[in-house]
Amino acid sequence: MGPSLLTSLIRRLWMSLLVLIGVSMLIFCIARVIPGDPARIALGPNATQEQVDLLRERLHLNDPLPVQYAEFVKESLQGDLGMSLYTNRPVVTDIGDFLPATLELVLFAGILMVAIGVPLGVLAARYRDGWVDNLVRLLSLAGVVTPTFVWAVFLMLGFAFFLEWFPVAGRLSEGVPPPPGITGLYTLDALLTGRFATFADAVTHIVLPATALAMTGIGQTARLTRASVAQAYDTPYVHMAEAYGYPEGRIASRYALRPAMIPTLTILGLDFAAMLGNAFLVEAVFAWPGLARYGVQAILHKDLNAIVGTVLVISAFFLIVNILVDLTVAWLNPRIRLENRRAAG
Amino acid sequence: MIDVKTSVSALALAGATALLPMAAGAQTTLRLDEVAVGELDPAKATDYADSILMFNAYDTLLLPTRGGGGMAPHLAESWAAAGTTFTFTLRDDVAFASGNPLTAADVVFSYDRLIALGQGFSHLFRDHVASVEATGDRTVVFTLNQPYAPFLAGLTRLQIVDSATVLANLEDGDFGDLGDYGQAFLSANAAGTGAYAVTAHNPQEETTFARNDGYFLPFDGAAPDVVRLRYGLEGATVRTLIARGEHDIASQWLPPEIVRGIAEGDGTQLLLESGTGGFYIKLNTQKPPLDDVHCRRALAYALDYASVLALVQVTDEVAQGQPANGPLPVGMLGSDPGLAYPGQDMDRAQQELEACAYAPGDHTLEISWIAEVPIEERFALLMQSNFQQLGFGTEVVRVPWALFTERATSVESTPHISQLFVNSTTPDPDALVYNMYHSTVAGTWQSVEWLQNDDVDRLLEAGRAELDQDARAAIYQELGALLVDLQPTIYAYETQSVFPASSRVTAPSLSDPAQSYLVNGMNFMFRHMSVE
Repeated sequence: MGPSLLTSLIRRLWMSLLVLIGVSMLIFCIARVIPGDPARIALGPNATQEQVDLLRERLHLNDPLPVQYAEFVKESLQGDLGMSLYTNRPVVTDIGDFLPATLELVLFAGILMVAIGVPLGVLAARYRDGWVDNLVRLLSLAGVVTPTFVWAVFLMLGFAFFLEWFPVAGRLSEGVPPPPGITGLYTLDALLTGRFATFADAVTHIVLPATALAMTGIGQTARLTRASVAQAYDTPYVHMAEAYGYPEGRIASRYALRPAMIPTLTILGLDFAAMLGNAFLVEAVFAWPGLARYGVQAILHKDLNAIVGTVLVISAFFLIVNILVDLTVAWLNPRIRLENRRAAG
Repeated sequence: MIDVKTSVSALALAGATALLPMAAGAQTTLRLDEVAVGELDPAKATDYADSILMFNAYDTLLLPTRGGGGMAPHLAESWAAAGTTFTFTLRDDVAFASGNPLTAADVVFSYDRLIALGQGFSHLFRDHVASVEATGDRTVVFTLNQPYAPFLAGLTRLQIVDSATVLANLEDGDFGDLGDYGQAFLSANAAGTGAYAVTAHNPQEETTFARNDGYFLPFDGAAPDVVRLRYGLEGATVRTLIARGEHDIASQWLPPEIVRGIAEGDGTQLLLESGTGGFYIKLNTQKPPLDDVHCRRALAYALDYASVLALVQVTDEVAQGQPANGPLPVGMLGSDPGLAYPGQDMDRAQQELEACAYAPGDHTLEISWIAEVPIEERFALLMQSNFQQLGFGTEVVRVPWALFTERATSVESTPHISQLFVNSTTPDPDALVYNMYHSTVAGTWQSVEWLQNDDVDRLLEAGRAELDQDARAAIYQELGALLVDLQPTIYAYETQSVFPASSRVTAPSLSDPAQSYLVNGMNFMFRHMSVE
């Protein structure tokens, strides 16, 4: 990593920290203006006013907002995000339990987005205005306009209920013990510990939810890639490569795809990061015990600490992915590297 | 080509899956689900899922008599009442899952913990119990502040925890030497004497149980070896799982059309739980025009009860409700089979309206429905149609639950009409009606009628003080008749929880009223169930 890239990275990390602080303040306030008393909701319908008052006192809910926020910051810096009123466990424990499940789902969906969306886009661009292009356009539009939960139900009915190729719900089959928790990602942990049968079982469970989650992204990626690659095919350097008689695959991958990937990658990164929060419906349909579902339940139960914790984690993920995308784009595009070097120098 | 590849990969994965080390084949597994997260700590339990957990992982001193009123021995082999003192003698053959024997000190510890945490069902005891003492290894004495008849029924919500195990697992907390009072430990682990031991608990995913073969009572039939209680399954998911034979009992919270769809499948049945509560249409008795009893009665006569029940009809034979004739469901102490069942009668509604001091055209009735309970919107629209026939203006308002509990705190903000499903937390009528109608409790979600009536107060207090069961029944019957006459509430129907299930399950407590318990969730004691 050159000095210009390092400077750029440090600047982005610093900006990300400021964004996270801003997000924490914002969500801290928003969570507290959602209608309803969190203490009453947590204690259930039969709690007496005295019980509610007692819990409000314990949660510092009667303190002024700045005092509550200061307390939150102090405890957060010690790694304590407070207790979840929804699960009655530390929020850090909950996030530790639920985040890996969603991360695994999002990673698989991301892989599908790239592995299916990009080749489809390249194919459509290569055979533009032909039947392949039209077919890819149709598939892409179907992917984008169909809501994720419809895909989820459709895939479940088709491949789990009628064909019975895949399981309906959960991360592992009944009676299959989870692999030792190294990363919390069952597929990865199973591979790391040599439990290949568990790996296969975990893969069969993740295929449908990851596909449902990826469908919109696949459509977008295919369309974007198609547009960018088609544009690249019209450039003089691609025409020259064709004139030299370079093989088709080499022209596509080296001369057309690489520059075309820059806009695609930027959108892909945003889509990928957004999936962490948007996975809720897929997690609900496939009973996937992930963070997105936890976050929505936290909002419905006005679980203040869990709301703030979940939003912060999703925000941090978003920022990290953006930084990685920026670095990748800089690596792909020499002009950005040169601009960074100029700005640093 | 793509199809072939997909098929091949699926087959390869299926083949690999077949190599997995599955649980022993002889074991039977029961799989069910609930909507909410499961709270494993019995001192914090509040809802249905929590009840299923507490009644299987823990035991109580007494249990309600199956199929009838009264209480029966359980962890306590006997008890004696003398004035405000209740002395319980514990069985000598009960051990916790840890192997520790049950002692009176465990009962005292469990009670002290429940009150100290101040959550869950602590309100059942807090104002009524003066002290709890262990007077021997197997003898424990509860002393009450005053005669309080619902006390014994309330004991169904005092789960006994293993004090030694909890004390060995304390973490830092607000309770001095007792640290967190075992909250962290008991939210993730069970420490009870229950028929089923918790083997894993993830509050958002599932709780798994294994049969406790050292349990002090026999198991019925072929009780399951393993139980998986899953949380938060979607309707479509449950339907698919049951159709594939991968799920046994669905929760009661599914929409009627999904329940119907499951029931129409092969190898399914509908399990039922009733007698614990009802669907109450609550009228704000302090807000014009409903502060006039004649206007309230006019609304009660105008409601189309048959259409209300039709909205919760699941199959030709089964509905999620049955006609109600008063505040207490059939079978509960004090319910009165002699009370007339209401029906729509527009002529009598008009007569009552003429006696009302208000002109209906001068008032717009706010009909609220709880946002999280979509079926209530249909009831609200039906009421709108019925009540407009009387000349009332109406406005249907969607209110999220969290906002509703806030609106219930003042007469002005409480809607004219609120719809609520209320279930009794114990098998005692007091748990249902006191919190709705006593003048001192007005201003909670349960008491949005804001009823202020001396006769009602007198009867509710008499019901608490009277220890003779027959005399209590008479008091609650008199109360029921009075409430029907005062009409603070329209008794729309008694709730009947419907659980779509696989026919491989036999659950007498959910199919035979003579074997059921009148406590929410108690009919899900797995030891009474059989699985093929």
